[in-house]
Amino acid sequence: MMSDLQSNWYPIASSSDLPRRHVYQTQLLGREFAVWRADDGYVNVWENRCLHRGVRLSIGINNGTDLKCQYHGWRYANRTAGCTYIPAHPADAPARTICNNTYPAQEAHGLVWAGETAVGAVPELPGFEDATVLRAIPLNAPMDLAARMLLGYSWEDGCKGQANADGSVTVTAADGTAVRVFLQPMDSNHSVMRGLINRPASGKERAALLRRHSWLMQELRDRIESRAAAQDAPAPYQPVIAKVSDDLVDIPALGAAALRAELRVQVARRELTAEGIVSLRLEPVTGKLPTFQPGAHIDVHLPNGQVRQYSITNGPGETGHYTIGVKREPDGRGGSIAIHDTVQEGDVLAISAPRNNFPLRRDSTHTIFVAGGIGVTPLISMARAMNAQGLSFEFHYFVQSDDHVAFRQHLGEFERALVIHKGLSPDATGATLKEVLAEPGFARHVYICGPGRMLEAARDIAAAQGWTDETVHFEYFANTVEVDDSTAFEIDLARSALTLQVPAGKTILEVLRDNGIDIPSSCEQGACGTCRCGVIKGDVIHQDVCLTNAEKAEGKSIITCVSRAASERLILDI
Amino acid sequence: MLKLYDYELSGNCYKVRLLLSFLAIPYEQEMIDFYPGKQHKSPEFRQINPLGQLPVIDDNGLVLRDAQALLVYLASKYDESGKWYPRDNPDLLGQISQWLAFADAITGTASAARLHDALFYAHIDVVKARAAAHELFRTLDEHLFFAEEGGQDWICPGDHPTIADIACFPYIILSEEGGIARIDYPAIRRWCDRFKRIPGFVVMSGVFPAGPAADDRAKVAVPGQ
Repeated sequence: MMSDLQSNWYPIASSSDLPRRHVYQTQLLGREFAVWRADDGYVNVWENRCLHRGVRLSIGINNGTDLKCQYHGWRYANRTAGCTYIPAHPADAPARTICNNTYPAQEAHGLVWAGETAVGAVPELPGFEDATVLRAIPLNAPMDLAARMLLGYSWEDGCKGQANADGSVTVTAADGTAVRVFLQPMDSNHSVMRGLINRPASGKERAALLRRHSWLMQELRDRIESRAAAQDAPAPYQPVIAKVSDDLVDIPALGAAALRAELRVQVARRELTAEGIVSLRLEPVTGKLPTFQPGAHIDVHLPNGQVRQYSITNGPGETGHYTIGVKREPDGRGGSIAIHDTVQEGDVLAISAPRNNFPLRRDSTHTIFVAGGIGVTPLISMARAMNAQGLSFEFHYFVQSDDHVAFRQHLGEFERALVIHKGLSPDATGATLKEVLAEPGFARHVYICGPGRMLEAARDIAAAQGWTDETVHFEYFANTVEVDDSTAFEIDLARSALTLQVPAGKTILEVLRDNGIDIPSSCEQGACGTCRCGVIKGDVIHQDVCLTNAEKAEGKSIITCVSRAASERLILDI
Repeated sequence: MLKLYDYELSGNCYKVRLLLSFLAIPYEQEMIDFYPGKQHKSPEFRQINPLGQLPVIDDNGLVLRDAQALLVYLASKYDESGKWYPRDNPDLLGQISQWLAFADAITGTASAARLHDALFYAHIDVVKARAAAHELFRTLDEHLFFAEEGGQDWICPGDHPTIADIACFPYIILSEEGGIARIDYPAIRRWCDRFKRIPGFVVMSGVFPAGPAADDRAKVAVPGQ
């Protein structure tokens, strides 16, 4: 019985109940919903409960792209309901598994429809294509009683009521005017009558029509309520608090040895955003995309069999797509050429879920972004997030010329913080970086992304001017170190109680996978840091570009796709 | 300087604080220990207000009581725009007075239920108070629904809120503290959002601020544009 009701579509609001920047509150079969329309028009139907302390999200703030809880400011993204920001932990990105429950919703006939487990299309309503939505009337009575008594609804002599298979009631007058009323079961003894009348109306006629039916339905409501009060109230529904959806909590099974490409996306738009740079807007083929954090990247599996990493440029709450930027590298290894020359709009690509090895701290007093060329992509996402939160930052973008400025429309969001440095020689770039990085200080942070040489110059300049390792964050596109894999050594896996031999020509990562031990990886060339692992004992020859110098000196971490043991044996925290 | 005899948790005192804030009138507060001290019933305070009720103002020797009366007085005297209480518009004055009386009825029901639940006024018939408050909320929700239909944001006609909005707001927004849910009143909930966005709006315990309206943000990223 319960499951039957839960798979139905019910109207839960009029479209006009969801103006911008408002959070509507309602209930269906005992479960409370917070319902809000994002600025992109998407209607979110969520469990009315913050995952943190259980406060109702219907008293929260609709920011247009996310919903903020009033209590401790947790923010949940449009569409996915993934948590994007926790003010008490501004230096950390929330785990991707922190995600509120969402419910299926559709907007049709001027109504918002939802159902806990509803699938397919909402009912078609022949004859009500140009209908006017009447004012909804809540009442304290069971849905079935209201439906029965609605058969007697009448606005003139000769009205005839008829029950429909979907539980709604249609009342038709002699002249063909018809009112169809759906019942929303808020709880077992609490319902809403949501009516449509089968003609368009505007101006004074509309006002009169709405008033008349509001009045008549309120009269009917009073009669239904007195009937309901005379009978025993049914027991309230007891909704089961659903678990978080599988795709968000899924921990990948052990032993899958390849790079994972669990998502399928379609290239919805492909455009030249700057000289030699295409942007691809990737939309899910089915379902929703997982929540991303600013700075995150995805693995893109290309038609030529290669796998490449690209940063997500999205702003906060842009959860319906991932947009990446790809620069054509004629002398590269072929990934960018495959994208430029073969990937077209409409193509379906396999991608990984987003991973964030370049997390953004939001507890800084001031942040300096330094972007070189296509290195702008992760920093755009970060700056857009900081801009939306009103945090202090400046954004330095080094490009060859005006034609090389990518993603102008997004840069425009934070124009005041933006400085574009055009056509500088390496020396002039160095001099500019010295000025930009002149003032290290408490809770000031730098984020750098760009070509290897520029990145190294920027890191050296920052270090020389007193920026500590912890305040300089960077991400390389590719490893600039020549990797030597000629050594052989032994690894002890402390948690797995295994000892394995790493021969010359094989990486630690490969040996682990050969033995059924899976750790996540992405670029597999020492640039991204996904396959990082703890070192308990032993010396490491670091051959990556993602650990900081301090981390390398400390020797507590190793990037398993490139780095090797300096000693005969390494004890790893796996 | 204007003095307000005030109690933090009082919705009626909050009405006066709201108007003083909207009009940016400086004032001093004298805090009265309403609960648990019942200072408003003390002989000393009864010399200021024989009814033993809050709020009371003392404006250079003119002592006035009753939240609705204070709104009328303060708006008439200090609102240079004349929009909160338009003295030269009899039609509007009639409507404002009607809703001031309605606000008083909300106090008698929704506030009473809150006193029962939150401040232990055990003698109040809370079931009756809640039912009566719901009747009033049904009336106001319908009124606000049709106001919106006619392009009107506020309880009374015109493009500016009036003291009728101020008088109705506090015990509506605090109604859940008396066990009166507003889930059945979507038009009231939207009006509450608009009210919270009036420049100069202040909160009190149990009242949360609204986020900015859509127009307040110059750069909203709209995908696909």
